[in-house]
Amino acid sequence: MNFPLFFKRILAALACVGILTFATARVLAAEHAEAPKAVAGQAAHAETPDAHGHDAHGHGGPDSSDIVQQFGYSYLTAFMFVLSLIVASMFFILIHHLFDAAWSVPVMRIAEHMANLIFPWGFAALLPIIGLALAGKLHPWMPLTDWSLTPTAAADPSLAVKSVMFNKLSFTVLLLGIFGFWAWMARSFRGYSLAQDKDGAAIWTRKARFLAGWGIFAFSVTVTVAVFLLMKSLQHQFFSTMYGVYYFAGSMWTTLATYYGITRWLQRKELRPVILPNHIHDLGKWFFAFTVFYAYIHFSQYFLIWNAAVPEETFWYVLREKGTWEHMGFLILFGHFFLPFLLLLRIDTKMSLNVMGPMIFWAWLMHYVDMTYNVMPVLYPKGLNITLWDPLCFGALVAVFGWAWLKDFRAFPAWPQKHPRLKEALVHHEIPKAGQAAAHH
Amino acid sequence: MSAKPLGLLAQFETAADIMNAALAVRDAGFKKWDVFTPFPIHGMDDAMALPNSKVGYFTFAGGLTGFFTGMSMIWFMNKFDYPLVVGGKPLFTPLFAFPVSYELTILLSAFGTLFGLALLNRLPKLHNPLFASERFKRATNDKFFVFVETADPKFSETETRALLEKLGASAIEEIQDTKD
Repeated sequence: MNFPLFFKRILAALACVGILTFATARVLAAEHAEAPKAVAGQAAHAETPDAHGHDAHGHGGPDSSDIVQQFGYSYLTAFMFVLSLIVASMFFILIHHLFDAAWSVPVMRIAEHMANLIFPWGFAALLPIIGLALAGKLHPWMPLTDWSLTPTAAADPSLAVKSVMFNKLSFTVLLLGIFGFWAWMARSFRGYSLAQDKDGAAIWTRKARFLAGWGIFAFSVTVTVAVFLLMKSLQHQFFSTMYGVYYFAGSMWTTLATYYGITRWLQRKELRPVILPNHIHDLGKWFFAFTVFYAYIHFSQYFLIWNAAVPEETFWYVLREKGTWEHMGFLILFGHFFLPFLLLLRIDTKMSLNVMGPMIFWAWLMHYVDMTYNVMPVLYPKGLNITLWDPLCFGALVAVFGWAWLKDFRAFPAWPQKHPRLKEALVHHEIPKAGQAAAHH
Repeated sequence: MSAKPLGLLAQFETAADIMNAALAVRDAGFKKWDVFTPFPIHGMDDAMALPNSKVGYFTFAGGLTGFFTGMSMIWFMNKFDYPLVVGGKPLFTPLFAFPVSYELTILLSAFGTLFGLALLNRLPKLHNPLFASERFKRATNDKFFVFVETADPKFSETETRALLEKLGASAIEEIQDTKD
């Protein structure tokens, strides 16, 4: 590895985040000065929702008038969005190797580079989250814990029993460890793939398959733990074993829409020789499948909690059925599921750019709404509250990650040059349409 | 027993041959013809220029029926006909009616698919004139067949036979209508 370049990248990433933070803080400070009443009004309803009806958070409860917290929550929402693309790309690679798939070979580099955004960019983007969390600006339980694993949160029994995981030490070490593991795995997969470009040896495919074999288990565990720490533990009292799958399902959905858009775009450029209509159709089918899978998972979570009606679980949704959050919930129900489901039932709509083009943007919007729905009610329990931080954080992260992806994509061959299944992928059951057979033979 | 010619049955030896034959017959403009293979061949739909199957509409109609049957059944039973409080929940909400509606959606979608398929294929059909051919029995084993009907406006005894021969048919047989 080229170390000077690697440090330059990290410095560049940190500088980007720093400059943006500073610029946004200035903008918002000005806004703050102009409208002090509105901000003060938010502070009045800033108590934390609590499952047990008493203030278990002590001094650590979110205060929505705190500008750093406003930034922190917006940044976390945007971060969870871009992390979706990275995590789901990892899954795309894993499943490609596990199933010895042929159809996905031409789009593999899209996934490989996207998964590799985890390092250094994902790491750089994670650091502010760890910093904000340790400073007590994100997770309400953080100020109640210290750097030891022993239960110190006697004030909150529900936190004390989980203190092995919910303390400053575990939070930091687990997240850095998980991100490190993902970075290593993504780097390995791309490394194998690029090595095969040169010699075409079967050993690289075998290595990738071996890694995918145990990697899929490590992946599912790490995704769950990471999402529990980053997002679910904003309300640490909540129980949901399917929360990790829920995040993963929405992530795959958005990522497949993104791949669809990128593939349609690169079909006219770098990927022109290898993308056939059936590849587009396959991506559309996967997107459709995850429309259903996400709905299935989210409905199951809601349904089980609703039916069981246990206060430790229901408070999470009770909070999200107050104020405008209820409308956001319905937006997710209809916009995240019914609209794309009914629209994409037909084969031809999955192939039509007129339908899928707007659908890609819609999927991004819906996934962002979903992330907002998970993160923001903790800080704004009365309802949706959009600050300037939201577009700024989202725009900055997407711009940096998009640029980094494009740079990586342009730096390497656009598809695996000597993948053993490439030939098969280039035929992909494609039959000349009527009248073209003569030209074909 | 009338012996009306129904069409020409051409036998091919490999999947590649039948694919080429299907493409050529399609491009020659035939409409009333079919292909028989021992196993599904990817891309044969396109090679035969078959439009999208209409079975999907039956599936969708079945699914919708199932979903609304489930919803209205539970509404009728729990709220209308015999109001029943379970676990302090409302008498009716789509939430707890959903699993049943969902199962019925799947069940009636499957029925819609099955019966739609049978209807569109005019099944069950106990007899087919092709069964009279000894050679055709190997369509379920190791041979590939194209059958072009005389009812096709493009059909001509000599030209169609010549076309099939040119495509490499290993045998061509005239099929008679064996009904009554």
